[in-house]
Amino acid sequence: MSGIEAVRKIVETEAQAKRIVEEAESKAQEILASASEQARNVRQASTAEAEQRKVQRLRETREKAEADARSSDAETDSLLENYKKLFENGKVVAAQKAVELILGG
Amino acid sequence: MAESLEKLHNRILSDAKLKAAGIVEQAEDKSRQILGEAQAQAQRDADDILSRASLEAESIRRSILSSRIRANRLRILDEKNKIVQSILRTVEKSLSDIASSDQFDSTLKRFVAEAVEAVGTDNVLVKIGFRNADKKSLQSLGQSLPKGTKLIAQETAVDDLGGVVASDPEGKTIFNNSFRARLERLDNELLTTISSAIFGE
Repeated sequence: MSGIEAVRKIVETEAQAKRIVEEAESKAQEILASASEQARNVRQASTAEAEQRKVQRLRETREKAEADARSSDAETDSLLENYKKLFENGKVVAAQKAVELILGG
Repeated sequence: MAESLEKLHNRILSDAKLKAAGIVEQAEDKSRQILGEAQAQAQRDADDILSRASLEAESIRRSILSSRIRANRLRILDEKNKIVQSILRTVEKSLSDIASSDQFDSTLKRFVAEAVEAVGTDNVLVKIGFRNADKKSLQSLGQSLPKGTKLIAQETAVDDLGGVVASDPEGKTIFNNSFRARLERLDNELLTTISSAIFGE
């Protein structure tokens, strides 16, 4: 092999080596780009799921609070009905006792 | 010569492959790191969203419940107040009609005696006024009063409901023993009596 041919072969080999490294760098860029994309997707999916759970939680809380409020209304209605009965049953005695108190006999 | 050139060729390629593998491996490490950090950050973001959701939920719950419970408490208080006011109107009616009851004479004497004693001087001036009261029966009371006591029987009821007002001759010391005044003085006991009789409280 002549000296010129040897130099040419070395140059070709260097070029081949350079391509190998460049391909690796390109692959590395792809890997990093893919990782960034996956990271973005992970965060978006996680946020979307959390927002969905938040909406669900708020809806459940509102429904439970409304149910509790309706229960409070019903209890109050029942109590007021009971007051009407107590009034009818006790109004004469209550007035008599109050008059006796004022007369102070 | 050819052999050493082949070795050089192989070494150059071997070095390049080694370097390439290192570049890819480094990228893969970095990729894992990016994903790990993203997952951790995503978890923190989700925790933050849910934490704020808990606070918001509690605020919504309080807003719905507290306003409704407050409204219901007011309804209860309003109903109780209506009941007590209704009883008080009945009481006032009974008191204003007392002149036609058999309790009138004894009540009148007691009210006058209390008022005269409260003023605590001689020559007390006693004004009496009850609705539908017989003026003669009012004036006949004068015989049972301490000497020097002056009795004035009014045509109209004292303080609307009736009663007795005593004062010294100068009007400096006055004791109002009208039903209205007694209702005001016994306000707390009255509410307790009515509440106890109606609600058992």
